[in-house]
Amino acid sequence: MNKDIIRTSSRKGLLFGIVLIFLVLINFHIMASTMISKLLGTNVLRGAFPEVRFMIIFLVIYGLWAGWSAVSRENKTTTKLLEGLISGITTGIVIVLFGLILFFLLETQTDVRRYLTALSFVSINIFLLGLRGAGVPVLFGLFTLTGLLGGALAIGLRSKTVSNFKHSIKAFVSNVRQSITSALPEFVTKYGKYMIYLVLLALLLLLPSRWGSYNNFVFGMVGLYVILGIGLNIMLGLSGQFMIGIAALFAMGAYSVALLNSPFPHGLMWGFWPSLVVGVVMAVIGGLLLGLPIMRLRGDYLGIVTLGFGEIIRILLNSDLLTDLTGGPRGIQNIQQPTFLGRPFNDVSYAYLIIVAMAVSIFLYYRLEKSRTGRAWLSIKEDTLVARATGVDVQKYKLLALCIGAAFAGLAGGIFAARNQFTGPNDHTLMVSINVLSVVIVGGLNSIPGIILGSFALRGLPELLRELETYRLLVFGALLVFMMLVRPDGLWPSSRPNLEEKGSSDLKEDIDPDLEGRGND
Amino acid sequence: MESKTKSPPKLTRRNYSKIIRPIFGILVLGYILWRLYEVLIVQQAYSIEIWLRLLIAGLIIGGVYALIAIGYTLVYGILFMINFAHGEVMMIGTFAGYFLFEVTKGINVASAGNPPLSFSDAYPLISVILAFIVGMTVAAAAGFFLEKIAYRPLRKAPRLIPLISAIGASFFLQNAAQLLFSPQVRDYTNPAAIARGSGWTLIINDSRVVITYTGVLTFVLSILLMIGLYLMVQKTKLGKAMRAVASDKNTAALMGIDVDAIVSRTFIISGALAGAAGVMWGLHNGLVHFFVGFLPGIKAFTAAVLGGIGNIPGAMLGGMFLGLVESLGPTALGISYQLKDVIAFVIMIVILIFRPSGILGEVLSEEKV
Amino acid sequence: MTEIIIEAVKVSKFFGGLIAVNEVDLQISKGSIYSIIGPNGAGKTTLFNCISGFYTPEKGDILYYGTPIQGMPTDFIASQGISRTYQNVRLFGNLTAMENILIGLHTKLRSNWMDALIHSPRFVREDNWSMQEAVRLLDFVGLKGYGDFLASNLPYGLQRRLEIARALANNPRLLLLDEPTAGMNIQETTDLTQFIKRLRDELEITIILIEHDMKVVMGISDRISVLDYGIKIAEGNPKEIQANTRVIEAYLGPGGAALAEKYRSQRRKSHA
Repeated sequence: MNKDIIRTSSRKGLLFGIVLIFLVLINFHIMASTMISKLLGTNVLRGAFPEVRFMIIFLVIYGLWAGWSAVSRENKTTTKLLEGLISGITTGIVIVLFGLILFFLLETQTDVRRYLTALSFVSINIFLLGLRGAGVPVLFGLFTLTGLLGGALAIGLRSKTVSNFKHSIKAFVSNVRQSITSALPEFVTKYGKYMIYLVLLALLLLLPSRWGSYNNFVFGMVGLYVILGIGLNIMLGLSGQFMIGIAALFAMGAYSVALLNSPFPHGLMWGFWPSLVVGVVMAVIGGLLLGLPIMRLRGDYLGIVTLGFGEIIRILLNSDLLTDLTGGPRGIQNIQQPTFLGRPFNDVSYAYLIIVAMAVSIFLYYRLEKSRTGRAWLSIKEDTLVARATGVDVQKYKLLALCIGAAFAGLAGGIFAARNQFTGPNDHTLMVSINVLSVVIVGGLNSIPGIILGSFALRGLPELLRELETYRLLVFGALLVFMMLVRPDGLWPSSRPNLEEKGSSDLKEDIDPDLEGRGND
Repeated sequence: MESKTKSPPKLTRRNYSKIIRPIFGILVLGYILWRLYEVLIVQQAYSIEIWLRLLIAGLIIGGVYALIAIGYTLVYGILFMINFAHGEVMMIGTFAGYFLFEVTKGINVASAGNPPLSFSDAYPLISVILAFIVGMTVAAAAGFFLEKIAYRPLRKAPRLIPLISAIGASFFLQNAAQLLFSPQVRDYTNPAAIARGSGWTLIINDSRVVITYTGVLTFVLSILLMIGLYLMVQKTKLGKAMRAVASDKNTAALMGIDVDAIVSRTFIISGALAGAAGVMWGLHNGLVHFFVGFLPGIKAFTAAVLGGIGNIPGAMLGGMFLGLVESLGPTALGISYQLKDVIAFVIMIVILIFRPSGILGEVLSEEKV
Repeated sequence: MTEIIIEAVKVSKFFGGLIAVNEVDLQISKGSIYSIIGPNGAGKTTLFNCISGFYTPEKGDILYYGTPIQGMPTDFIASQGISRTYQNVRLFGNLTAMENILIGLHTKLRSNWMDALIHSPRFVREDNWSMQEAVRLLDFVGLKGYGDFLASNLPYGLQRRLEIARALANNPRLLLLDEPTAGMNIQETTDLTQFIKRLRDELEITIILIEHDMKVVMGISDRISVLDYGIKIAEGNPKEIQANTRVIEAYLGPGGAALAEKYRSQRRKSHA
């Protein structure tokens, strides 16, 4: 029993120690203490280092966490303290070993930055709390103490009384909600949902002109990813085709608009709106050309072929072969800006354009999903063979899904190119496809709110977290893994519609005779 | 009920794919044949030594691809998941080897000559062996922990979920390496005896064809590792257990096989192979950076699919094939070298169109009923 | 002379070296319940797969109202009014019962994706009709109130019924039932037997049945075929099949007929 406790909690401590070493090696401790100092009102100049006391705060928080997380739910109070203590001590030992190495580096003035960029002497010294060698035992003491305290904290916050308290709060909240809903007039409860939508709509309409061009840029990116996500969802979520090459279809839309609206290389000036239509059509043609030969492929084979298709398009755009045609690696610059009712576009009008495009896409998506076509797609995804025996022309519907999905991708691409006034091969890399895939799955397959949330989380947040600049992608990767471990169905999982009531209401007897005929179209 | 007595009309529907596929195939094949005819017979622009050079380069790169592809295929065979972070495991192996060479380069050994020799120059064989051991061990450990943290909890989830987790892990490892070691591109410090570019020189038609030591090392070692792996999978108890788990996890568990342990070992083995490939990549190509695993990873995955994913000989064949196509393709077809990946991908797509489960993949009658 | 709805003429299907179905002849008249029985691996399901278009037989013809349909696309065959169920229930598990039936109605509807986008009159009309039809079918198979359950969450017996409802949505002229009573208890089996009879009597659907439960087979079949190792070894009405020595030997092995006779006489004695 005791051995077990020692083993599990020392393992926890070891983990926390190693993670802390990693964090120090990537200079995260400096960033964290800078953030803390900013939060506490002491601004740190860019490039300068924070004061040691903020470093201490960071380490204390980390140590508390290490102690806290080692505590298991079932054990007695004293055992909990012990668990926290052991975890803290283990972390401390690991950090002492690490600290000794750091101290050695500091003493001998060995510069290891050639290999480990983050380990500058200043950074080391701050980690050692500015005490050089004396910092090592101090750190050990700090982790032991905070481990114990973390254990104590866990007793306070994880005990039964607390969980009871939580329950009673939840009950209270739901009671209040119920009493409020019952007190409110009927039209509010009935239309409350729509009122929230209305407020959101009003926000969407007001915000773009208020919140500055950077936010508009970020918002636009999120909106475009929503459209791309809807396109991918039709292929992946509805008809179950594993597509990793959506960037190629995105590129078709973008390049159509770019080539038809730029002085170089062709000098065509068709204007935005007709070329957007061309872009959508081109993307559909691309989807068709991709889809026709590969209808027989399934699963991962389909995935790798679509990936290959995306890469082929990107490499071709990047090569000398097509430079005369598509501008080559330098891309296409100076794309002519669209006008609407004679007025040229600025960042606000793009935001509105994207809102409209997004709204239309969502509307069309819902109409498709709740139709014979959408159900045929779903049946293919669920069980291709049975779908076929139920009369669904699988190839036709798969192809249709690819084409319609491609149309959305083309739409997003066209707007993207015009908005950036530039597009080049690097806008259409494999990463774009992978990002869209992540958006759809992190948000929740077949769930529009999920896709919107996913776009915000994966495209919007990283842009807004410029503070974390260097750590952005690292955190992004870790978050993807974490999300899949914690919420594999996505942020907002989809639910199936309730249809029985709809069919049961006003059962009419006059069944349309037109429907008696057989046929499959 | 009148309609029920109608007899069904004759079949009128067309099968789009059946018509398009041959057309597509004939077009691509015709183009390839035409270009080959142009380059090989009409122009005769390249002499034998150029072909030899390209062939050698293709075999070497093919060996590396094959080693990485085996990792994809092993994992796929057992878990039916694409280990998207496999290229990053290789990157870790490359870095491990790099650091070992840096260390051995830094240690001076007593020698008669002046200036003193470094350890890696004095004992090239030992340091290369050490580099491979370290690279394979570190990469194997990376594979082990990767599976334990990012994949094991998702064993029962739908197949897209572990894929996204793998993509996340790939991002994480890449960026961790970038933050740890800086984004700069570094030179691999080979021991002097096997410096890049040095090798045996053949004189053919009065021009030199160099068979580099690193190339030979890479090729021979990759072949040896592949043979070793094949024997392991076919002959040992572990290999038998792996095959059992691959064909049916539940039944294997009922037979007393510890599925989790087998999965762990699979990741260790595939990680070690990727680590070896990484050190080879460093020794032969000479560059190491945080992004070094990405492209070989994608290529090797392509190779694994090409050979029939889940099939070990298929991965070897696919890797070699892809290496050769990449190396010989642009010249043989008279196309710009920029487009070598396009050639590789197009050939892959064509092969998959006609053999939807890869070259050596299980031939299914379209779908299992 | 009743009309022949479907006919197999010397149908053979090979898998590699294995002959799964060997020159089987069948003639099924309209409005009958026709059972195919035989030991496991006798090729019954393979024959179903040939009829429904999953497999193309290597030799022979399958005539539907006198027209050959072998080798035609599965979905086309389905659209001509041949529905089926599966040995181990194959529903669209992540969709609701209603959606399963709506997918079954696929061939009955005409509206395409453009109708869905603009909500054309045709779409609206078909949408309303299909919802009502789906509810009617739910009611018909006794699944009223389960419409919004996920198919995979239904109990096994109801899943079987839902599968039949989905097959019926196609308004079939020919229904292929692959071991519909597998895994059911006696009460459920009796209910289902009655239900199958109702299908034939009320909806005038011709039914081909693969079944292991001899009580069911002998109770409702008009005619029975027996397959063994891909070969049709007997055909006739239930009485004839029960008396057929080859059939008994196929089930019980050589000498089985004598064994069965012995068993029967013993039972007769003990009853008396």
